[in-house]
Amino acid sequence: MRYIRLILFVLVVLVVMAIPLALVLARTYFLSPTAQPVKAQPIQFPHQVHVQAIGLDCTYCHRNATTSAQATLPALELCMQCHKIIPSQGRPELEKLVAAFQQNQPILWNKVHQLPDHTHFVHSVHLSFGFQCSTCHGDVGAMGKPGVKQVRDLRMGDCITCHQQNGARTDCSVCHY
Amino acid sequence: MRRRDFLKVAATSATGAVLFAGCGRIGDGVPETEFKIAQPVYTPNDWAFGRDAWFATAAPPDQGGYGLIVRVFEGRAKKVDGNPDFPGVLGKSDARAQALVQELYHPDRLAGPQRAATRGSGQFQPISWDSALQEVAQILRDAGGERAVLITTRPSSSQAAIIAAFQRVTGIRHAILEPDELVVLRSVVRRLFGVSTLPIPDLANASFLLNFGAEFLHGWIAPVQLARAYGEFRQGRPGQRGLYYHVGPRLSATAANADRWFPIVPGTEGLIALAIANVLLTEGAVPRDRFAPYFAALGLDEARLTNDYSPERVATTSGLTAEQIRDLAHALVEHEPAVVIAGTNAAASTNGLFNLVATLGLNLLLDSLNQPGGLLLNPEPPLPELRIMDDAILTQRQWAELFQQIQSGAISTVLVYRANPVYALPPATGAAEALRAAQHVVSFSPFVDETTQLADIVLPDQAWLEQWGLEVPDPGPGFAAVAVRQPVVQPFVDARAFGDVLIQLATQLGQPLPWASQEEATKTLALQLRRLGRGNIQAADDKQFLVTLQAQGGWWDEQSRGSGTVPSSPVVQPREPSFAGDSAQFPYLLVPYPLPSIGYGELAHLPWLQALPEPISTNVWQSWVEVAQRTADELGLSTGDVVRLITPQATVELPVYVNPAGQPGLVAIPFGQGHTALGRYAEGRGVNPLTLVAPENDSDAGTLAWCATRCRIEKTGRRARLARFEGMVPAFQLEEFPIVRVMAPSA
Repeated sequence: MRYIRLILFVLVVLVVMAIPLALVLARTYFLSPTAQPVKAQPIQFPHQVHVQAIGLDCTYCHRNATTSAQATLPALELCMQCHKIIPSQGRPELEKLVAAFQQNQPILWNKVHQLPDHTHFVHSVHLSFGFQCSTCHGDVGAMGKPGVKQVRDLRMGDCITCHQQNGARTDCSVCHY
Repeated sequence: MRRRDFLKVAATSATGAVLFAGCGRIGDGVPETEFKIAQPVYTPNDWAFGRDAWFATAAPPDQGGYGLIVRVFEGRAKKVDGNPDFPGVLGKSDARAQALVQELYHPDRLAGPQRAATRGSGQFQPISWDSALQEVAQILRDAGGERAVLITTRPSSSQAAIIAAFQRVTGIRHAILEPDELVVLRSVVRRLFGVSTLPIPDLANASFLLNFGAEFLHGWIAPVQLARAYGEFRQGRPGQRGLYYHVGPRLSATAANADRWFPIVPGTEGLIALAIANVLLTEGAVPRDRFAPYFAALGLDEARLTNDYSPERVATTSGLTAEQIRDLAHALVEHEPAVVIAGTNAAASTNGLFNLVATLGLNLLLDSLNQPGGLLLNPEPPLPELRIMDDAILTQRQWAELFQQIQSGAISTVLVYRANPVYALPPATGAAEALRAAQHVVSFSPFVDETTQLADIVLPDQAWLEQWGLEVPDPGPGFAAVAVRQPVVQPFVDARAFGDVLIQLATQLGQPLPWASQEEATKTLALQLRRLGRGNIQAADDKQFLVTLQAQGGWWDEQSRGSGTVPSSPVVQPREPSFAGDSAQFPYLLVPYPLPSIGYGELAHLPWLQALPEPISTNVWQSWVEVAQRTADELGLSTGDVVRLITPQATVELPVYVNPAGQPGLVAIPFGQGHTALGRYAEGRGVNPLTLVAPENDSDAGTLAWCATRCRIEKTGRRARLARFEGMVPAFQLEEFPIVRVMAPSA
């Protein structure tokens, strides 16, 4: 009984200190990019149809992935090269594409893969080292409607771990420049 | 620490951690569009190469018209920088250039031609370009050229060519609205050195700079060029650091850069210059024959200079001691080469013209004109078409006359391009009344500013990054240079370049101009540069010339230098400054000053610039009254107290900022705020100092003397929080663990 107050105090302290820790961990878990639901997109684009069924290469559409920092979305012009001969009547998602092209309106996609602020990521460097798109993006080719989901954390810990495993530089200025 | 305290701290930090962790969600950015990617309709040019593209273009004419490069990716302009090849700036830029992208993407940009519901209502309805052009052409046809006036801000050089051609076919009058200090400066340079272009101090080679009030590092004639040269002046030559003395009433950020600041009574710059000349003459420090043009310009002779302008006499009016004036004179001859510049406040007194003649004239005594480390005169533009006519630049007195003519009905039609006379001239000039009285008002502004609010029809101009043009930087780098402006992005809205609209109007009037578009005018004029057969571009044919010009961002010829003449007849007589208001009733002098970011208010609609702290006070987004510590102590004021600032002209309430480095007896207030229009970021914040200053003129130049009004301050007893960086987080000293330990020297 002599130490009961001390023990109680220590217990209370531990509980008090555990609350923020638990909350931060919970936030990390629930708000981690991979835990986010699939984002709604203006057009439900099925990668599955284009990659698995038709057999297009990723860089057929994301043309700049191998040569520049950004993988880039294709211009609607490129979509229409095929879709001008694919009937769109009665297929609401395709009708949206054709309407946007005819009205000269860009499509505003919701960005799926979020990098942390103040970082640069260069696609071409990683591809020329020998990585596949799927190393970071997962098997996008198997993702159909409603859309693409982020499968890898892509936050600083993830980047640094992978850089260490592959003998890449890990000094700050590699990404924060 | 007691257990209870510990528990309190722990609980507080836990709550804090939870709150901070709860702030924001991943992917929850503001603005919402941050996490959108626009898929373009057609393949942008840069995608063909798979990397971001940098296009060369030019800064707007009122920012100096120097060469810029813009990073474009996915068809969007992302980042503006200085053109590394362009002479003078060599890759440097400033915040105003960086903010050009905000003009492009501004949410309040007019998306197409508009017609006012009723004039002055601020309500506009979209109309088609065809009907708008037909209507304006009809207005011009009815009014005739002699009853119409075109009011513009400083146009680009190619726009000047188009305006001149438009004037020739319609007979319309052209009037250019520029800040009054620049009107005085241009007039002095023309009359003192015989050139129509502004000179540039060769700071990179100078050993000593004497500056009378010019804010040359923060917004004066060429801040980028001069700030870069200033870096060379201070650090560019190993072992030799340029010496800089600043003479002016307020410790501005430019003055704070100086080695010595000489606080003076505003408007006494010219008298101090005469006292310096007096010292140089009596001590025989410079050869006597150099005084002839100086005496000629000021209508003086040796006896008058020696007797009337001794340092002791000038010391009584200027606020300096005779010893300080002698120091200035000695520094000028001890550190060669030396250069003298003057401007901003010095030009905005009732004796502004005299101030600039007397101060810039010191360069004649030092024989520093066109010498390395001296004042370099710039040549005329390489083509006569690219010249901006000086007689179109009106002084405040001429503006008042013009508005009188509009009000009397002698001029019925007013076209306004990007100029904002209703805001930029004091209310007494009568701009608003004149525009209300005019029969037709047509605006070409891309934003609804105070003047455009009084327009019947608005034909919005394109953003600077969307249009073609040629710019002769003024001041240039000391030799002939032309920057080319090219569109770096596709136009975002249904606006048309001002030059295109003038050309289309002329066609509708049945008198087509020599070019079909602003683009064609730009290219035709550029090819005339090729015909000169000199310059940096070697090209086999016209196409190659244009491609090289666009890739390099400009044309320049280092051999083509400026030359001037020395004055032989009097330009102005020496005069002391005068101030509006009784000194017993209004004990303080009001010193307005332009901000390095939003200038005289023409850039107040760009939020990046609004959020850029004024360098001395670090205040943002508002107006404030800067008072010296001693003045504040006398009145019992501290930073954040709201005071009533009373001038003979008006009364406003503003928060106080106490500046420990302020000059007692002066009250400073920044220009730029007080807009009643110009979009969501400009409207309804602060006051426009032009409503406070008495409409005093410089009687020699006819320009507004905005630095010639007395004022007083009264406490209201209220307080307001100033938005600023400095001192917002108080420093705590922890009791038990001092962060900084004080150690004895022996320890």
